[in-house]
Amino acid sequence: MKVFRKKTISFWNILPIIVLILFLAPIIFIFTSLFSNFNDNWNHLYNYVLIEYISNSIYLILGISFLTLIIGTGTAWVVTNYNFYGKNILESILILPLAIPPYILAYTFTGLFDLNGTINIILRNIFIFDSNFILFNNIRNIYGAIVVFSFTLYPYVYIISRTAFLSQSISLIEAGRTLGLSKFQVFHKLSIPLIRPAVIAGLSLVIMEALSDFGAVEHFSIVTFTTGIFRTWYGMYDLKTAMQLSSLLLLFITFFILLEKYSRGNQIYSKPGGSSNRYKMKKISGLKSLFAFSFCIFPVLIGFILPMIQLIFWSINYNLSFFDKKFIQIAFNTILISLLAGLICSFIALLINFSLRLKKTKLKIYINSFFSIGYALPGLILAIGILKFFSTIDDLFSNFILTGSIFGLLIAYLIKSYALANSSFEYGFTNISSGIDDSAKILKSSGWNLLRRIHFPLLKTSFLTSFLLVFTEVVKELPATLILRPFNFDTLAVSTYIYAAEERMYQAATPAIAIVIVGLIPIIFLSKMIQNSKVSK
Amino acid sequence: MTINLILEITNLEFSYKKEDPILYNLNLKLKEGEIFSIHGSSGSGKSTILRLIAGFEKQSKGIIKINNKIVSDKNNFIPTEKRNIGLVFQDKNLFPHLNIKNNIKFGIINHPNSSIIVEDLINLFGLKKLENKYPHELSGGEQQRVAIARSLAPSPKLLLLDEPFNGLDETLKNELQDEMMKIFLEKKQTIIIVTHNYNESKFFLSKISELRSGRLQLVDL
Repeated sequence: MKVFRKKTISFWNILPIIVLILFLAPIIFIFTSLFSNFNDNWNHLYNYVLIEYISNSIYLILGISFLTLIIGTGTAWVVTNYNFYGKNILESILILPLAIPPYILAYTFTGLFDLNGTINIILRNIFIFDSNFILFNNIRNIYGAIVVFSFTLYPYVYIISRTAFLSQSISLIEAGRTLGLSKFQVFHKLSIPLIRPAVIAGLSLVIMEALSDFGAVEHFSIVTFTTGIFRTWYGMYDLKTAMQLSSLLLLFITFFILLEKYSRGNQIYSKPGGSSNRYKMKKISGLKSLFAFSFCIFPVLIGFILPMIQLIFWSINYNLSFFDKKFIQIAFNTILISLLAGLICSFIALLINFSLRLKKTKLKIYINSFFSIGYALPGLILAIGILKFFSTIDDLFSNFILTGSIFGLLIAYLIKSYALANSSFEYGFTNISSGIDDSAKILKSSGWNLLRRIHFPLLKTSFLTSFLLVFTEVVKELPATLILRPFNFDTLAVSTYIYAAEERMYQAATPAIAIVIVGLIPIIFLSKMIQNSKVSK
Repeated sequence: MTINLILEITNLEFSYKKEDPILYNLNLKLKEGEIFSIHGSSGSGKSTILRLIAGFEKQSKGIIKINNKIVSDKNNFIPTEKRNIGLVFQDKNLFPHLNIKNNIKFGIINHPNSSIIVEDLINLFGLKKLENKYPHELSGGEQQRVAIARSLAPSPKLLLLDEPFNGLDETLKNELQDEMMKIFLEKKQTIIIVTHNYNESKFFLSKISELRSGRLQLVDL
């Protein structure tokens, strides 16, 4: 008797394609704007401000790259190679600034270093200077922005450089020494070139974050692509021109996405084979130890400790009604939307990774890696793409009212955070032997049954990690939330932005502290991973 | 009278992607209650034969029939979970999040008499004291008992054993072989056993074959 194989369309093969359509739709809508007419607003932007957008973006990129490179690789080199007072703690806390989104650091910087900022006042009081004394003049300019971005984003370069330094093998370094290179020559002719691909990958992440930012540049009144897009849409109500500007920024970002992917591909250079025993850390003391400690604590002081002190000071002194009714409502909205996004994103990432586990096709692999570049898309561009996508659906089907609903927010968060969820599950699945799947199949378990009875229970930790990472990212996300939120639906990020835009920094402090506290969750995870990597070495 | 063949393999050929075939023109017939063992050097493809029968791989040529039904040929492919066979892996592959009782119950969860079947197997394999323990709390021999008990729970027509006594010390191996032999004979279980040890094959009174250059040859010891 012949039994014919059923060729049915499997849910597991269809799902990645459905999600792909959801990912692609906003991007396609943005790019199609390039093929429509360019109106007077575009001509105005093109003739008067576009050059400024581009030049400001380039200055920002160059400045931030230079500073983050020095802080990120410098601190990574010091904590990897030297043993000094406080080194163990510094190693972990050097990533703390990641918990503070650039826009919150920008607000606190204004409070700290502006004309009548805390630092100027403290200096005047300590040294009994004249009330006209100003050490820090205007920091609301491009240089201020470079400092703000560098001190909050350098951990990307730090983490990646530290891992790369750790993986350099002693045999390679010793080979350099036997070939007549001095210690310094070994550093700049071997160590640095070996970690170059890793550092470029880290820098690309930093640049993408900076180009995507809206809150910090807006606060410092620097005209860039994102502020231009926001003003064109929010001020001129010209969605088409905003989309055309977005397309240009997207092209910029695409270049850095490709650069980052290419550099990651080359990271193999920093993992030479053979013995991976590292140099023994050199113990330093006295002035050298003090210098190393100061060099490593400085970025944490500027990027985390001082801003936190400023926020707490504002909050305690000027906003005593910490848990007022409005704050509780805003916190509830934030938790609700982050919870929903965290669950949906984690479930979708779990299902897609499970679909890959069931059958790994080239198409599915490409689609999944495409999803992971969503993190690089600026929230503002995503929001505008989704807005256009939804308004088109609303026009086509008069019964639908998607625009202004919570779905827009959820799609934006899904696209922005999928990479975080995906990495948790990718790692989780690699820890489950394929033999377990084979055993389950032999025992008549497949598809949903296999997922429910075997993979989901074994991936609980991955699910929790994914959920927490997405939750935190959504709490911090500003531009997409600002544009896509339903009417009268404020979140902590939006409320911080609105208070800060009205120069009501004291009121902004409370939601900002809440964001930073939530932001610390993945930092603690990362910190543990860094400690583990050290132990395994 | 037609003989009830549990397994029939005809002209089987298999290769990994574009590499040369590792199995050629392989033929095998197995009657109910027969025990058949396959020997071969490592990498000769003996475990691959089990994976093809189980449906984890698909052959490039040939036909596989289980219980007189085609489960795999050029046009047909019945997925693993519908072939009604048991497989005990070299690595045991017990489910780490389930206790011993639930590991054994896994394949018969919807069976109306699942609790009775599990209870019988637990008693048969001497696992009563271990039923609430988790796999990582068991010794290698105990894990192997659980793996075999679990594979027998759904009453498979054909049981495939891939190096089932690998990694066990001689005393434990002999003990376990004795127990298994009794159980297999009692259940009249049809078995294919892949092993590199001729003594194991002789112990199970099986037909013995050697996999050489991709072909099975019967061996008379």
